[in-house]
Amino acid sequence: MRFEFFIAARYLRAKRRQAVVGVITAISVIGVAAGVASLIIALAITNGMRRDLQERLVGSTSHVDLMKIAGDGIRDWRPLLERLRKVPHVVAAAPGLYGQVLISHGARSGGGLIKGVIPRDEKTVGDLLQSVKQGSAAELEPFDSTSGSAAMHAVPPIVIGQDMAETIGVKIGDGVLVTSPQGALTPFGVVPRYQKFQVVGIFKSGFYQYDSSYAFTRLKDAQSLFSEPDLISVISFKVDDLYHADRVGRVIEAEAGKGFQTTNWMEQNRELFRALKLEQIVTFIVLALIVCVAALNILIALTMMVMEKTRDIAVLMSFGVRAEQVRRIFLLQGFLISVIGTVLGLILGYGLSWVGGHYPFPLDAAIYSIDHLPFAPRIWDGVIVAAVSLGVSLIATLYPSGSAAKVLPAEALRYE
Amino acid sequence: MIDPNEGDVRFENEGSLEPLPVVRERTVVMRAVGLTKIYSTVSGKAGSGAAALELFRGLDLKVHAGEMVAIVGESGAGKSSLLHLLAALDVPTAGEVWCGESRLSGLTPKQAADFRNRDVGYVWQFHYLLPEFTAAENVAMPLLARGMERAAALEKAAYWLGQVGLADRTANRSGELSGGEQQRVSLARALVTEPKILLADEPTGDLDGKTADAVFGLIQRLHEAHGLTSVLVTHNLEFAERCNRVLKLREGRLVDARTSPTEAGRV
Repeated sequence: MRFEFFIAARYLRAKRRQAVVGVITAISVIGVAAGVASLIIALAITNGMRRDLQERLVGSTSHVDLMKIAGDGIRDWRPLLERLRKVPHVVAAAPGLYGQVLISHGARSGGGLIKGVIPRDEKTVGDLLQSVKQGSAAELEPFDSTSGSAAMHAVPPIVIGQDMAETIGVKIGDGVLVTSPQGALTPFGVVPRYQKFQVVGIFKSGFYQYDSSYAFTRLKDAQSLFSEPDLISVISFKVDDLYHADRVGRVIEAEAGKGFQTTNWMEQNRELFRALKLEQIVTFIVLALIVCVAALNILIALTMMVMEKTRDIAVLMSFGVRAEQVRRIFLLQGFLISVIGTVLGLILGYGLSWVGGHYPFPLDAAIYSIDHLPFAPRIWDGVIVAAVSLGVSLIATLYPSGSAAKVLPAEALRYE
Repeated sequence: MIDPNEGDVRFENEGSLEPLPVVRERTVVMRAVGLTKIYSTVSGKAGSGAAALELFRGLDLKVHAGEMVAIVGESGAGKSSLLHLLAALDVPTAGEVWCGESRLSGLTPKQAADFRNRDVGYVWQFHYLLPEFTAAENVAMPLLARGMERAAALEKAAYWLGQVGLADRTANRSGELSGGEQQRVSLARALVTEPKILLADEPTGDLDGKTADAVFGLIQRLHEAHGLTSVLVTHNLEFAERCNRVLKLREGRLVDARTSPTEAGRV
C-alpha cells in the first residue's frame, strides 16, 4: 500500500499535463469541502434550534405529570406529594388544578386552560411564572401579614399569556371574567360558574401554545372556581435527568399506587420533536447532494487523469506493477482528494459554527421567537458527515480506478 | 525452425564492429515454441468488417544465458510484438513462451506481473520515464512495486544510476535530463531488478547517431560486465552486428542472418 500511496500522492501534487485536470481536481476538493462545511453548519443550526426549543419547552413545563386515570382528581394529595418528593431522581414536585375556561374582557373572550398553583412550588417545576414580562407573579403568593409584600386582593389574581392578553385586550390591573363550563345544576338547568379575576401578570414564554391559552391563579382560587375544595388534578415533577423522565415516571407511578398514570415531556411533545428530526434528516439529504456533485467532479477528474496517465499506467505494468496496485493508486488518489476536501470542510464547518456560537448572528425575535441563530455543533455529526463524504467519493472512484486497472500495456504503448 | 537442441556458437568475432565473443554457454534462458500472433483488426472501410493481421506463425526462438541477440527486420514485421510476447506483456494466439521452467502462457495476470517485475528488464524505444518522479525514484520503481523498503530501493537505484554513468543525476526529474540520459535512466530501471533477461525494443531508435552509439555501447558494456542475457530489437545493422547473434524476422519467421545462405549479406 505504501507504493500505491507514494504514486497517488505524487500524482496529486504534480503539475498536470492537461491544466483542466488540475482545475477539476481543485474544484473537486473545494466541492467536497463546501458540501461537508455546509452539512456541519446546517446540522449545527438545526441542533441548536432543537436544543434551544427543547430547553425552553422543557424549562417551561414539568418533566413528568401524575394524574388519576379516572380523571376525577386527586384528593388527600398532601401526604402523596410528600411521599413522591422522596422518589429517587425527583428534584421538585408541585400540585396543580387544571380546567378549561373562557376568559372574557368586555366583548372579547378567548378559550384557555387555567392552572391553579402554589406559586412557590410551581416555580420549581416550570419556568412560565418566571417569564412574566409585565406585572409580577409575586401577586399570586399568599398574603403575608408580616411583610405585607403581596397585595391583598379582593378580586383573585390571575397571570395570563401575552397572546391571550392581546386577544382579549387586557393589561395589568384589568379585570377579566373567567367562566368554567363545569356549571352548577340549578332548577333552571346547568349554570356555568364564573368568577372575576384581576390580571396581575402577563408572561411570555415564546411558545404560542402557552402564551395564547395558559393562565395561572392560586390553587385555592381555582378550587373555588371549580367548586372543588382541596382537590388537585395533577402533580408535576422535575427530575434530575430529563432524558430519563420516562423511567422516573414509571417509578412515580408505582409509588403512587393503583389508579394513577404519568405522562412525560417526551410523550407530550413527541410530534414536535419528530418533525424537528424529520427536518434535520431532510436538511442532511439535501445538503448531501452537494457532496454528490463534488463526488461527480472526482469521477470526472479521475477519469481524465486515467486518460492522461494511460501511458504511465502501461509503463508501470510493464515493469510488474499489478492491475490491483494500479486500481489502488487511483482509488487512493480519489480518496486523497476526498480526505483533503473533507478535512477542510470539517475545519471550515466547525470553525464557522464556533464563530457563530461565540459571535451570535442576530435574528428578529418577533419573527423567529429567538434573537440569535443558535449553533450546537456535535462531534457525532462530523463523524457521520465525514463517513458519508468519504463513502460517496469512494464510490465515485470505482469506475476510473477500474478503467485504469484494465489498461493493456502492450496496446497502450503500441500507438505511442 | 530452430532446432531445440541447438544452442552453441552463432558467429565468430569478425570485422571492425567488435562483436561480442562467441557464447559457449548452453543454458536456455528463454524459449519460444511455435509462436503465432494474429491481430483482429477492423478495416476503416464501411462494411468491410473484421480482418485478421497475422504477424508470425510457428515462430521458434531460443535465447541462451549470456547471449546478446539482435532481432532485425522491416517495420511492421512484428519485432516489437514478439518482444511483448517474450515479456508477457501480451499473449500469443498460439504457441508457448518459456522463461526457464516457467510457461508464460499459463500465468495468471498477477503471476505475469510478478514475472515482469522479477525476471524481465524492458527498455522501450522511448524512455517512458514518469515525469513526476526523480531519476532515482524512476529506477527504484520496480523495487518499490514489489514492496522493498524505500531507502533500500533508492540505494540500489543509485548504484544502477552509477552503472549507467548518472550517479550525479539521481535527484533530477526526466524533464531535466537529455535524451541520452533519459534512455540511460530507463536502462538502469530495467536492470535494477537484476532480471534473467533484458529485452530492449529499439533502445537507440529515438536518439541521434552519437548518443545512440554511446547508449548501445553502454548496453554492451553492462551486458558483459554483469553477464546479462539480452534480446534487442534494432533497425541499426551496425549495432546488430555487435551482438552475439543476429536474427531476422521475415515473413513471420526468425532466421539467422549470418548462417542462413539466403540472408547472408542482407542483414
